[in-house]
Amino acid sequence: MTGNKKVTVFRPDRRTFIRLTSSVIGLVSAEARASGQVLKFGLTPVFLNNDIELLGKLKDYLSRQTGREVQLVQRRTYEEITSLLLSGQLTSAWICGYPLVQYAEQLSLVAVPLWHGEPLYSSYLIVPKGRAAADIADLNGDLHAFSDPNSNSGYLVTAALLAERRLRPEQFFRQTIFTYSHRNVVRAVASGLAQSGSVDGYVWEVMASIEPELTAKTAVMRKSELLGFPPVACLASHAESEGVLLIRQALLAMRGDPGGQEVLKLLRLDGFAEEPLQLFSPIAEKMRLIRGLTQ
Amino acid sequence: MTAKPLWRQLSSPAWPVSVRVPIVVALLMVAISIAVSNRVLSRLEVTQERNLNQLASAYLDGLSASLIPSVVREDVWEVFDILDRSRERYRGLNVKWAAVTNSENRTIAASAPDIFPPLDALPAKTVAEFSLTDEVVTDERRNQARMFRSLVYQGREIGRVYAVADISALMQERSEVLRELILTNVLLTVLLVAFGYFFMRRMLRPVGLLSAYLIRSREDTMTPIPDMVIQSQSREFRDLFARYNAMTEAVNEREVLAAGLAEEEKLASVGRLASGMAHEINNPLGGMFNAIDSLKKYGAREEVRLTSIRLLEHGLAGIRDLVRSTLTTYRADQRPRDLTPTDLDDLRILLKSEARQRRQRLDWRIDFDVPVHVPAIPVRDAIFNLLLNACHSSPQSSSISMMACTRGGEFIAEVSDEGSGLPSHIKEYIERKGAGSAPLDRRSGLGLWIVKRHCDELKARLEVVTSGNEGTVIRFTVPIVSDEFEYAA
Repeated sequence: MTGNKKVTVFRPDRRTFIRLTSSVIGLVSAEARASGQVLKFGLTPVFLNNDIELLGKLKDYLSRQTGREVQLVQRRTYEEITSLLLSGQLTSAWICGYPLVQYAEQLSLVAVPLWHGEPLYSSYLIVPKGRAAADIADLNGDLHAFSDPNSNSGYLVTAALLAERRLRPEQFFRQTIFTYSHRNVVRAVASGLAQSGSVDGYVWEVMASIEPELTAKTAVMRKSELLGFPPVACLASHAESEGVLLIRQALLAMRGDPGGQEVLKLLRLDGFAEEPLQLFSPIAEKMRLIRGLTQ
Repeated sequence: MTAKPLWRQLSSPAWPVSVRVPIVVALLMVAISIAVSNRVLSRLEVTQERNLNQLASAYLDGLSASLIPSVVREDVWEVFDILDRSRERYRGLNVKWAAVTNSENRTIAASAPDIFPPLDALPAKTVAEFSLTDEVVTDERRNQARMFRSLVYQGREIGRVYAVADISALMQERSEVLRELILTNVLLTVLLVAFGYFFMRRMLRPVGLLSAYLIRSREDTMTPIPDMVIQSQSREFRDLFARYNAMTEAVNEREVLAAGLAEEEKLASVGRLASGMAHEINNPLGGMFNAIDSLKKYGAREEVRLTSIRLLEHGLAGIRDLVRSTLTTYRADQRPRDLTPTDLDDLRILLKSEARQRRQRLDWRIDFDVPVHVPAIPVRDAIFNLLLNACHSSPQSSSISMMACTRGGEFIAEVSDEGSGLPSHIKEYIERKGAGSAPLDRRSGLGLWIVKRHCDELKARLEVVTSGNEGTVIRFTVPIVSDEFEYAA
């Protein structure tokens, strides 16, 4: 055999390997998309849960807008939904500002709801109607109802308020309970089970128009400053995925769609918008405050 | 004076049957109502308690299963949430409050947190009201049912459930049932009493009719019930009315017969009287004819003439007395008048021939000398019949006495004989009131019957004073009529 026939062995370098692997994965993903991969949208209890009509309309809207089958995933706690999201089991999820800042490196914003035209809301400290309490100091020794340990309005804001006074909730209150729903915080205070509670201001206001007989048994003692509204987030690594893009587009287009307007009407929201992550900086500040106290 | 028991009053004939039967119906209905109401209420109570127990058991079972994981964690909110939601789910039980404690009886949560705050010990007074068994305790005074369940996990008591249900709805149901029972029973009783009264009146109408006929027969002759009336009655009353009519016919026939017998007796009496008179007249006639013969033969002799004339005079005087007595006694156109002592003296003359035949002695004692205001003719007739009976029932050569007097506004006549006493049935007939409607029997006792009829007319009394081997005394007492009243024609 004359002349050396050079046999070229394909030896990709690391970068090429990754590119190729990504291409293969991309081809597989594209195939999956073409076959109609299910979009999984997570919902936390910040949402007005147990509203079958709302869930139905939201699912229909998202399915129609994305052209994909959409599965709504509900869990009892923020932690469960956040874990599902972080583990990549959800395309995106409507979480709270507190988990967002907790996992700011892993998570990315998809869209932020607009309430009264702003992506903002407050946390309320509520007490039973008729109770003479004007300051958080008056709540010392209470049985206090929190919504969720990972909720901004239902825990972090009050914990931060106490942290400013170098106090932790378990020191300040006689006992604290977690109801894992903002509505349940209102129920606990209205029934007299808890002498005070921390609740999402948006939820309390919407309940005041839907269940006025329940909120009428409570009174808002303190409203926090305006903070970033609980956002829709996704894994940062999936931020540019088609599924996330489709969901973002659907959420942003909700205002202009009759079906979307119906959903917004049920949610008492004005729409969704793209907002900077800095919107949640005050929440991150509160987190750091209580972490500093704990450490 | 103690009141008679009700059953005795209801048995008393003083109350009409048409009233007694409805009252008995009412009493029976009341008794039945009480028994039925009692039974219904006790059954209702048992059913309600069984349902309450089943519902309480289902409630506590469901609650226990849901509560155990939360009680293990002593999760205040979850325990409250379960209690709060169960209230809606077991709305039928109407739970007033429920409290869940840990094993140290410290409240984890209660459906009424303002009464039983979390972490506080459940008040001992509250715990003491519960039986601490699975048995539901009902407190009807407070309209409460108290339920208790021990929460056992892995063989260890981790907590307790105390619950109180409001049973006022059950109590109200009981009182409503009782009220409806009372109302229904009262209505039924009133209706049945009204029906009872109405139907008893209808059923007893034939008895009333028969009674009216019997009352009429006492005042007048017995009248048969018309066939038309009989035919409109039920079978048993048709038979009864038919028997009444048969009795009426028999009584009327008997009265006709008795009247005939009385007429025969009268004729026999007239015959006896005529015979007696003939005898009485015949006796002096022989002497008078002898006197006439003596006058014819020795009329020239003055002593013979005077003796004969005296004998004739005596004989004629005797005949005159007899004729006068007979005329006085049996004059047809007699009018009611007062009884005089002479009337009773005349009886002695009339009875003389009867007594003489039996060689009986007549003792007369009349203790009044002015007319007595009683009807002379029937009184004398009654006494005469008693005297005739005394003569007939007394042995030969005995004595017959008649005593008459007035005493206490009454005229009294006593007739005595020395016979062997009255048979019991005659004594009973003499003393029985109203016996004058019929004679004692078909062939005897007509004289007594006449006496009894006069007694009825005069409202007089006839009584046997003594009756035995030594003789009989019969007293005939007639009330003296006051001056304002005249004798009945």
